[in-house]
Amino acid sequence: MNSIFALIIPVIFIASFLYAAVKKTKVYDSFVAGAGKAIPLIVSIFPYIAAITILARLLTASGLEDKILHFLSPAFRFLGVPQEIAGLVLIKPLSGSGSIAMLAELLGKYGVDSYVARCACVAYGSAETVFYVAAVYFAGIKRKKLPLAIAFSLIAYFLSVVLCCLLCRVM
Amino acid sequence: MNAIFLSLFLGATAILLFVNPPLFLPTVLEAAGDSATLCVALLASYAVWMGLMEVWKACGITRGIAKLLRPVCKRLFRTDDEQTLQAVSANLSCNFLGLGGAATPYGIEGARLLDQSPQAEYASCMFFALNATSLQLLPTSVVGLRASLGSGAPADIILPTMLCTAFSTVVACFFTWLFLSPKKSCAAGACSGRKKQAVFSNKSAAGTR
Repeated sequence: MNSIFALIIPVIFIASFLYAAVKKTKVYDSFVAGAGKAIPLIVSIFPYIAAITILARLLTASGLEDKILHFLSPAFRFLGVPQEIAGLVLIKPLSGSGSIAMLAELLGKYGVDSYVARCACVAYGSAETVFYVAAVYFAGIKRKKLPLAIAFSLIAYFLSVVLCCLLCRVM
Repeated sequence: MNAIFLSLFLGATAILLFVNPPLFLPTVLEAAGDSATLCVALLASYAVWMGLMEVWKACGITRGIAKLLRPVCKRLFRTDDEQTLQAVSANLSCNFLGLGGAATPYGIEGARLLDQSPQAEYASCMFFALNATSLQLLPTSVVGLRASLGSGAPADIILPTMLCTAFSTVVACFFTWLFLSPKKSCAAGACSGRKKQAVFSNKSAAGTR
């Protein structure tokens, strides 16, 4: 089962490059141009990642994180979500770079292939940063019902986190 | 975000001040250093996928995907404007690949154009719901991160991620359609298509309980 999914990515590359070659595209030139665009993108998200990593480490070092998690754990336990990923679940709607920093912290702390880490990965992928989309995409747009759409998206996101922990347990 | 950052930062630092003040600077510096390492890992996966995206763009695969998405977008957003549909489908296809950063410029353009479409209120909310829950078929940066940290099977989260992201998107779209859709202009074809979606989302909601 898992080996099938390991095949997906190389197959996508082979198929795309072959198709591009048939279409007489300069594969090398295009690939280089695209890869180069990754650098400004990373430069633009680095400060956010740094700020959230610093915050996460401070919370751990001061013991504040344990207290917050302890406070939230009954709710999360009720929903079947491991309390270790609570921080990630809560920061994800606010900051994309912040949540990938949190994800990396969790992967390092609990081991990449642990249950907690897999839950974290799926929870990370299950939705986008709701408030970021609202702030950036809809910056100049005033629609009366947008707050409703935000609420719907958040509900859908929390439901999918519950689903993801369930899936990670059985798969 | 500013308020959250400030209050958590001050709270944690104040506690540290009482418990173990010399720990502050090394903690902060180590965190900043580690975030640089994380960025290098991300840069690796972005470079690979954005390279592939560029090849797709050059040989017309991107345009093909956008064309495939167009009928769906037409129904979802109830607009016929070519330029709007193009921006919206480009945005959605970037999201499919898990390239949030690349989806942003198209998303901004799409949101602006949809704001001028015939059913702007509904279309804007639907576009928001789709983007906020982002249907992500290939979680490229997570797979890359797992691989760089030495995972035994970095790709084994693809299937659960697909299911969860599809679930969150369907739920958000269903709510948006249910509560915000202007009912009287609902074309027969569009309605039957959405009913199917509704049945599906009810099923998956029942499954979680």
